[in-house]
Amino acid sequence: MCGIAGIDWLALQISSKWECVCEIQDLGYLNDQSLKILKFAGLTVTVVGLLLFLLSPLIGEPISGNLAWFIEPIAYIGAVVFMLGSLVVIVSFQVIERRTKVVSGGRTWSQVTQDYFDTFAHDMGRPLRRILGKQREARAVLNETGEVSQHMVTELLDEIENQAPNFRLMIENVRVLVDLEDINAAPAVEPVDPAALVRNVSDRYTPIARERGLELVWWCEPSEFGLIYGDGSALDHMITNLVDNAAKFASGHVEIRLTKTASTFIVTVWDDGAGLVESHVPHIFDRGWTPELSARAEKQSSGLGLFIASSLAERCGGQLLVESQLSNDSSSGEHFTTFTLSLPLDNRTVAK
Amino acid sequence: MRSVLRRLETDGFKPIVVTPEGPHITGDDYEAQTLFAMETERPAAILLDVRFGEYDLDRFKGLSILKKIIDKDGSMPVLMFTQYSQGPYRDTAVNASLSVSGSVDFIDKLASPEEVVLRLRRLIGNAPETIKIGSLFELDADNAAVYVIENGRRELIREIQGMKLEILNELASAMYRSEGELVPFSRLERFSDGEDSRASLRVRIRELKVSLGRAVARDFGPNELIINVRNRGYRLVSPPDQQ
Repeated sequence: MCGIAGIDWLALQISSKWECVCEIQDLGYLNDQSLKILKFAGLTVTVVGLLLFLLSPLIGEPISGNLAWFIEPIAYIGAVVFMLGSLVVIVSFQVIERRTKVVSGGRTWSQVTQDYFDTFAHDMGRPLRRILGKQREARAVLNETGEVSQHMVTELLDEIENQAPNFRLMIENVRVLVDLEDINAAPAVEPVDPAALVRNVSDRYTPIARERGLELVWWCEPSEFGLIYGDGSALDHMITNLVDNAAKFASGHVEIRLTKTASTFIVTVWDDGAGLVESHVPHIFDRGWTPELSARAEKQSSGLGLFIASSLAERCGGQLLVESQLSNDSSSGEHFTTFTLSLPLDNRTVAK
Repeated sequence: MRSVLRRLETDGFKPIVVTPEGPHITGDDYEAQTLFAMETERPAAILLDVRFGEYDLDRFKGLSILKKIIDKDGSMPVLMFTQYSQGPYRDTAVNASLSVSGSVDFIDKLASPEEVVLRLRRLIGNAPETIKIGSLFELDADNAAVYVIENGRRELIREIQGMKLEILNELASAMYRSEGELVPFSRLERFSDGEDSRASLRVRIRELKVSLGRAVARDFGPNELIINVRNRGYRLVSPPDQQ
């Protein structure tokens, strides 16, 4: 990329094929009205330039009577004015287009922003209400009796501790959603130790699982798993969302298994929850979908975690699949849900 | 941060906090004092923030301190606290840490004290010479011995030797690395013999539980101490103090 001195908002990207692509870097200091004025000024200058160029044989002073009209000095001036005007028009059009650009899913940026506010409001509201509920209860008892029982204090502290991972995940989910809006973004490629990532996620969720009476275990085969080339941040986020989901629905056990084939590595997250109704399976990765939606009940979560995990998996050249069994569909009475995330062992070629 | 300090102390660490004194403390003050403390205290690992102070210039000061630490001692494990555990700032931090050859890991500031200690343990190295299994047992891998702890005194459990000790060592190391880590059958079956290695392993595990139980006059049930997780593998869990 090469910048042009004095034009800080414009950069020329020169690709390997010697194509010049104008990319607007930043025109945030111009409001919409200024952009419209800029656009019309640019159009006017362009038209003036074109007129000068075309009328140069009539209005210019010929250098020599024998020379053709197109080398009149005024023709050159006209051409330069025309090019400058065109450049201004292109830049202002691009900026206006970017500001009103329709992003993935046919939504405008303002709709996307609104979505994020809604997500924040929903995801932050629920844990906050739970914490405030306990806090207000304790305060009411304190005002009434002058003291709070140890049990009450412990409950409040546990509630705060339990809600912390929800806040943590929510912040990350919104960040990743913003990233996902950029359909041209490529995943990062770096050497990653997936076993270490699974271990970290397990460490994060073990206390939460214990609090909920769940057993969370993980293992990898082979035990010395080695490195892969992929997006460590995305992988961490995918596994976190899958484990968070499993810990919400499990009855007693959550398992995370890491295995590999010749070209892929596979993260399997299994839980012994009630299982998925067959008609829900096709919607499980839809943005904002939760099982409560089909029952017209209040959503218990934002329904973004699995959508994000699935979208990231695709972006990283892999896929996320789900398999589930309801207890009444099985003769053994066994019920479970398994998410299988497969990703390439070496994502360097995919990222290119 | 105080809860992390308390947890570190509970786990046997002796944390030293570097706190420069005086008005208008900048990242440079932290840097100077950290490097000084490295010389004088000789720590086993360093926990470091990425951001120091309120000055914008010090946003990534922790990374320049990290470089100085690694320049001074390339083998020093450093766990960095950051609010940017993911995202572009995390990438800046990771790229900077990749330019040093030390053992560096990142953890976000919302992590629980338990998580911090587990990460720190792993950074410092593999399983230590001795691993405590709850407050009842202690495994000394270097001396190939398992002890029962009674009133602060260690007493050798002579029955646990050979393959039983190897199995216990494998399970205890996994537990030390990560509480939720299961050791799959495939990794344990190398310590068993006979045609049916799975059955042989089951026998060894039962013997191990009996030996450990006998040492503390207890009978460990199927969901205590060494647990078979859904026929996938075994997991060691710390036994409760009281029966």
